[in-house]
Amino acid sequence: MIPMLKNQKVRNTVQQVLFVGGLAGLVLCGILIARKNLAAQGMTAGFDFLWKSTGWDVNFSLLPASANDPYWWFFLIGILNTLFLGTTGLVLATVFGTIVGLARTSKNELANLLGRTYVDIFRNIPIILQLFFWFAIITHLPAPRAARGVAGFVLSSRGFYLPIPNVAAPAFVAAAFALIAAIALPIWLGRTSQLQRPFGERGTIQLAATAVALALAVVILLVGHASGTPFLDIPALQGLNLRGGLRVSPEFTALSIAMAIYGGSYIGEIVRGGFLSVGKGQVEAANALGLSGWQIFSLIRLPLAMRAMLPILTNQYVWLIKATTLGIAVGFTDFFMIVALAINHAGQTIESIGILMGGFLAINLSLAAIFNRINKAIALKGNQLRGQE
Amino acid sequence: MTVIALRPPAPSLAADWKRRFFATPLQAVVSLLCLAVMVTVVWTILDWALLTAVFDPSRGAQACLTPGAGACWSVIAARWRIILFGLYPYDEQWRSALACLTVVAITVLSCIPAFWTARRLPLVWVAGTGLFYLLLKGGILGLPYEGEEVWGGLVLTLFIFVSTCLIGFPLAIGLALLRRSELPWISKTTGIIIDGVRSLPLISILFTFAIVLPFALPQSLIGDKLYRVILGSALFFSAYQAEIVRGGLQGVPRGQEEASMALGISYWQRVSRIMLPQAMRNALPATINQFVITFKETSLVVIVGFFEILASGNAAYGTGEWRFAYVEVYVFIALIYFVFVFSLSRYGAFLERRMAVGAR
Amino acid sequence: MTVPGPAAPALQIVGLNKYYGPLHVLRDVNLTVRRGEKIVVCGPSGSGKSTMIRCINRLEEHSSGTIIVLGTELNDDVGNIDEIRREVGMVFQHFNLFPHMTVLENCALAPMLVRKVPQAEAEAAARRYLEKVRIPEQAMKYPGQLSGGQQQRVAIARALCMRPEIMLFDEPTSALDPEMISEVLDVMVTLASEGMTMICVTHEMNFARRVADRILFMDRGEIVEEAVPDTFFTAAKNERTRQFLSQILKH
Repeated sequence: MIPMLKNQKVRNTVQQVLFVGGLAGLVLCGILIARKNLAAQGMTAGFDFLWKSTGWDVNFSLLPASANDPYWWFFLIGILNTLFLGTTGLVLATVFGTIVGLARTSKNELANLLGRTYVDIFRNIPIILQLFFWFAIITHLPAPRAARGVAGFVLSSRGFYLPIPNVAAPAFVAAAFALIAAIALPIWLGRTSQLQRPFGERGTIQLAATAVALALAVVILLVGHASGTPFLDIPALQGLNLRGGLRVSPEFTALSIAMAIYGGSYIGEIVRGGFLSVGKGQVEAANALGLSGWQIFSLIRLPLAMRAMLPILTNQYVWLIKATTLGIAVGFTDFFMIVALAINHAGQTIESIGILMGGFLAINLSLAAIFNRINKAIALKGNQLRGQE
Repeated sequence: MTVIALRPPAPSLAADWKRRFFATPLQAVVSLLCLAVMVTVVWTILDWALLTAVFDPSRGAQACLTPGAGACWSVIAARWRIILFGLYPYDEQWRSALACLTVVAITVLSCIPAFWTARRLPLVWVAGTGLFYLLLKGGILGLPYEGEEVWGGLVLTLFIFVSTCLIGFPLAIGLALLRRSELPWISKTTGIIIDGVRSLPLISILFTFAIVLPFALPQSLIGDKLYRVILGSALFFSAYQAEIVRGGLQGVPRGQEEASMALGISYWQRVSRIMLPQAMRNALPATINQFVITFKETSLVVIVGFFEILASGNAAYGTGEWRFAYVEVYVFIALIYFVFVFSLSRYGAFLERRMAVGAR
Repeated sequence: MTVPGPAAPALQIVGLNKYYGPLHVLRDVNLTVRRGEKIVVCGPSGSGKSTMIRCINRLEEHSSGTIIVLGTELNDDVGNIDEIRREVGMVFQHFNLFPHMTVLENCALAPMLVRKVPQAEAEAAARRYLEKVRIPEQAMKYPGQLSGGQQQRVAIARALCMRPEIMLFDEPTSALDPEMISEVLDVMVTLASEGMTMICVTHEMNFARRVADRILFMDRGEIVEEAVPDTFFTAAKNERTRQFLSQILKH
């Protein structure tokens, strides 16, 4: 046996078998012990509980939900909530980050200082502390009856109220798609090879496409508008509470603010890094060609910076999606909180944790896959810009 | 050829300002806007935090509630002990304070290049954490015993952070080496573990270790919830740090390993004497960044029910007469975090710059 | 076939083949090197000469065939691999000095770790070998502070500190600026004159003429010519050898 172990091939095999086998053994032991413990409590393992009704409710849902719905429906709602909160936070953080990043790279020293102060302050304080802070601020705001708003936008201790068009849900979704098209169409048009036109002409076509899509969105909203009601449903005080409009709960508001501000401080640095990575030579060449300031920005600096930022931005987005799990700290029923509640009520611990892990793996892997595709699509062909310092 | 070295006349202050802030109409608008924002924010904060603030705790909470009163710092003066030390017995709180200083000492020593050797750094951390633990736990040298259940506040946060790093770092190196193994099954399995942990939110891992793991462990191994959570947090840290170490290892030229193989140096000596010292140097800025992130993320343990600094802060304003003073408490805690995190990340940025220069 | 003990030849290679996936990089190589013999290996790039000498100390694993170094067969036995690496020194094209250690530490490390030599003794030996490669005064510097030629001489001293029976040189001068080549070659010539068994992959034909007992010419993974220097340069049998020589000696 000992001389055998001196053989490299034998040794390699033994090491691998021991390593993988040991890990598998540990996991198996854990599962067996868990089964025994569960059996002692009179519970059975398995995923049957997914079809039982929960008996409890969620405080936020994009789809109809009640205590009679089964667990699998609630898990789905949780994933949707996480995606919804994640997308909101992601978009807001990107907006904040872009502004801050541009300020950081601008030639204006005051804007630069402002951006830098923002980044230094908000990057260096844990996001959960910021979340607690904003949540405390919102819940200590005046009650709806005492709150004052601007043009139908009201911030109160019961949340953030905003006007909303009086339209049916399907029309709303359709309009949302039209809006997405308004953004996506010009990008697609700019990339497609059938449109080999000079820059100016291409810009006009892109603008036209956006205009059409926007008009379509407005038409959809007008058509979908429930007749006999005012077009905008504006929150108004009725008794002690505000009625009408859209109420964004304090939890969701605080989470969005925290994600936007904290995420924005990171994205700001990514945006800055992206712009700094654009070689001076490119900008000088564009200057020499007589392009205007805006043309240099939109045609040279922005596209090149985007390519540099995207991989890092992907990581940041994955991070932000994971940050939605902070929902449990203020009581927003995101995916994680629903799983935690399910464990509390149904007790199917291992199964629920498995679902949680699977859910996040799926979300993060698909997000990374989407961005990798975009990244590949816009990556510079060949090595035109390598070796630039 | 003659070189004309005439310096242009120094511009007047007004001309200089005009060039810097008002070069174009757009620049002027941006400058004025920024100036307005800055003045408003700075003045508001100054007014609130200093000019109209109430500092004297002897005047009680009522003094803060008078109209026109700004920040109520008296809440900090009255409640700082609970924020920093949690429920630790009053008479023994000097031990907590000393323990906090130990962590500061560990951090400062770790930042001094003279300590960056394979012997000194682990020694500093093990000795420091040991001292921290003994100070807090007591039961020897005449120090009364204090169980983990009374540890709280900043001290608990620091304890979790330091132990996370102490356990997580060797684990990270182990994972990185396993992932770089030439044996495909070992590297693939480790890769799955690392990527799996990295794609999960930290909270879910803390939750699993705190609440779910006891189901799957034999009675004798369950241990205190605090240590389980530290293990979970260390696992999460190590998954990220392992990738940083792996990146550092990939930066070491292949020839280094070949040269040491050709000299007959064994695997472990190769790793510890040749590969890791160079890899860690490459990975230093990213490592400091990871420490910074980890320190911030330590605050998440509040969710699985620990009385760390956020929870003790909530408690500080949550009861009795100070209910209104949440902003002050959060600002105080934020300042503590800020001082730690900001100085550490500045130091990291400094090192990065210095290394960029060093690498020519 | 294995002759044990000190009577064994320094190196015996029989039927050596090596594949990188479908790529056949060494084809049926046979070579025997006596103790104290100096072999120079040359050939166009990609001819497998580096791969061959890297197989001798298992930096590359061979696919088939037998390699016997100093009477010990190089096989999957971990003990044999360790033993052979202890006895075979190697000098690389890119020096591969350890940048985080001083020159002295570079030299003393392996004897201390592998041969368990006490530190003082290892350092004394290291200084002797640094003297031998003519840079004793650089002992406390770091590799990054030295010129390429100095670094390569340190690399030779580092390999010698293990007191190897055989030295392998893998294009030791190709990464050097022209004015530094001779200082390295001088050291190698001295080494050769002291009776070291050497296998050098190099294109320095003057060195080969002066030092080599035999010159091998490799092309496409095969040894196509094997001759003493005089014959090699004047009466090479193989057409490819002559072509190569005419290219390399043109200037």
